[in-house]
Amino acid sequence: MSGETTTMAGAAPAETQPVLTSRAGVLRRLARDKVAFVAALFLTFVVIMAALAPWVSPYDPYFTDLTKVMQPPNEVNWFGTDSTGRDILSRIIYGTRTTLLMGLAGVLIGGVLGAVLGLLAAFYRRLDGWIMRLVDIMLAFPAILIGLAVAAIFGAGITSVVIALVFAAVPTVARVARGAAIGIMSQEFMEAGRVIGVSDFTLLWRYLTLNCISTIFVYLTLRFGQVILIGSTLSFLGMGAQPPTAELGMMASQGRDFLFLAPHIATIPSMAIFAIVLAANLLGDALRDVLDPRLQQ
Amino acid sequence: MGRHIVHRLLILLPALVGVLFLCFCLLQVVPSDPAMIIAGPDAKPETVAAIRKELGLDRSIVIQFGDYILRVAQGDLGRSIISNKMVIEELANTVGPTLELMVGAMLMGVPIGIAMGTLAAVWRGTFVDRVIMAISVAGVSMPVFFIGLILIQYVGFKWGLLPFTGREGPIWAGGLPNMILPAVTLGAVLIGPIARMTRTAVLEVLGADFVRTARAKGLRERTVIIHHALRNALIPVVTLIGLQAAFLLGGAVVTETMFSWPGVGRLAVGAILSSDFPTAQGAIMILALAFLLINLIVDVIYAWLDPRVQRG
Repeated sequence: MSGETTTMAGAAPAETQPVLTSRAGVLRRLARDKVAFVAALFLTFVVIMAALAPWVSPYDPYFTDLTKVMQPPNEVNWFGTDSTGRDILSRIIYGTRTTLLMGLAGVLIGGVLGAVLGLLAAFYRRLDGWIMRLVDIMLAFPAILIGLAVAAIFGAGITSVVIALVFAAVPTVARVARGAAIGIMSQEFMEAGRVIGVSDFTLLWRYLTLNCISTIFVYLTLRFGQVILIGSTLSFLGMGAQPPTAELGMMASQGRDFLFLAPHIATIPSMAIFAIVLAANLLGDALRDVLDPRLQQ
Repeated sequence: MGRHIVHRLLILLPALVGVLFLCFCLLQVVPSDPAMIIAGPDAKPETVAAIRKELGLDRSIVIQFGDYILRVAQGDLGRSIISNKMVIEELANTVGPTLELMVGAMLMGVPIGIAMGTLAAVWRGTFVDRVIMAISVAGVSMPVFFIGLILIQYVGFKWGLLPFTGREGPIWAGGLPNMILPAVTLGAVLIGPIARMTRTAVLEVLGADFVRTARAKGLRERTVIIHHALRNALIPVVTLIGLQAAFLLGGAVVTETMFSWPGVGRLAVGAILSSDFPTAQGAIMILALAFLLINLIVDVIYAWLDPRVQRG
């Protein structure tokens, strides 16, 4: 939750913002926020389960058993079985893995590309106008549409979804990176580096990028929930993972055909997506409040 | 104002060319050579070459693209591979229902979002505030299709209150019941972001001098909130609503697919899944143009509402 978000406009940021001295300080303040703490705990659990999927999932997610199809949740299959008798819990665990990896790939690749664009725009003022115009154009199109177009050209599949997520991440990350970098550019040490003859590359990397990385990273964390949501929605539409791959959005979509016979097949994967995105958003909000009140819109 | 609009139009132009090029590419990815398909498997190479020439496939890609733009400008988007109907006709039939759905969703979502945000700001820090903020963060995190699934399962199927497939003509001709569930599904997406933004904006304004002045001269609290605070807080909210309108189109794609609503989004999804490239191209083009148009309108309204933007 956004908490008490009074405006800081007008006040000098240096005076009103407590200087963050250590990473431990951030974590301690996050831990004090009960909601954020629970969200973080849940996400850690989800990530561990997804990472250890082959060891923790009770059954083979692809094993079909036509003698027990569409069974509601019970002692043997905690989340029930789907239309071909596959264990839904196992598929959720594997599906979470696919969904998270898809989102991670999108955020990381998009984050790097966006950061490069934003930093270059701030460093070389000549490029600024061009890069920002490109960013404006990319911003004009929402991720779902980009996903449709990419899937139309390259065919439906996980790669297409990742490309769409990258496209969606690049412009916003570029803006944030540029904003952060412009602040750093006005610092005296940049001028000092230039005066003592440091090369452009070193200036860009050691002086500028390393100073902006934490801001960009925080922003990517804030975006992660949204990215997962977009990715699974595209899969739900049939643009992403293809059967029999376990992926949360696609599982929900397949369950739609049996909604009236066995609602749990569609509902449980949907709830899993909801829970993950909610936890990511709650944690992101808390992180934003603790780290940088200025990032708020 | 004029300069601002010109600047936005300058951004619009390359975006437009980008959209057209993307759609042009879509038509190029047809898995095999169209000339070969038309000529048939036993055709002589000369026949194929003749057909290639006739179709203009032997010319450079730039000229073909120019040709494509000319054709689009005349409304010729080709024929659907599946239904053999003109793509432009298919689009003309689907644009209306999509617009209808979006307007319905906004009529549902915007007032609720603004009311919730204002209440949360006025009762800031109380239980009401916390509940409203919890609902809105849940709304932001919920996949559109989950809301749709729940509504279809309960309201549509179990309780049998409302129909949940297809469209029964325009609202004034008995089409309203069919529209309610899709519109609610899509509108629910709006509530979260709008409530959050309204709360922040109202809180900001409540601390302003003119609100203190209004209170000091003895106006009723309700008048202060509605006429002084909310009015001024609406500027960022209007922008957000505009931006959401663009993203609403994305949600419409999902909603239409779920409720078999005969709109552009469903047309696009169906065309892509069945490799009907001409239709997919047309539907994506229309959606992209709609996004650009909405963005432009929002920019202009924003500049008009807040004169500071023009100077900036």
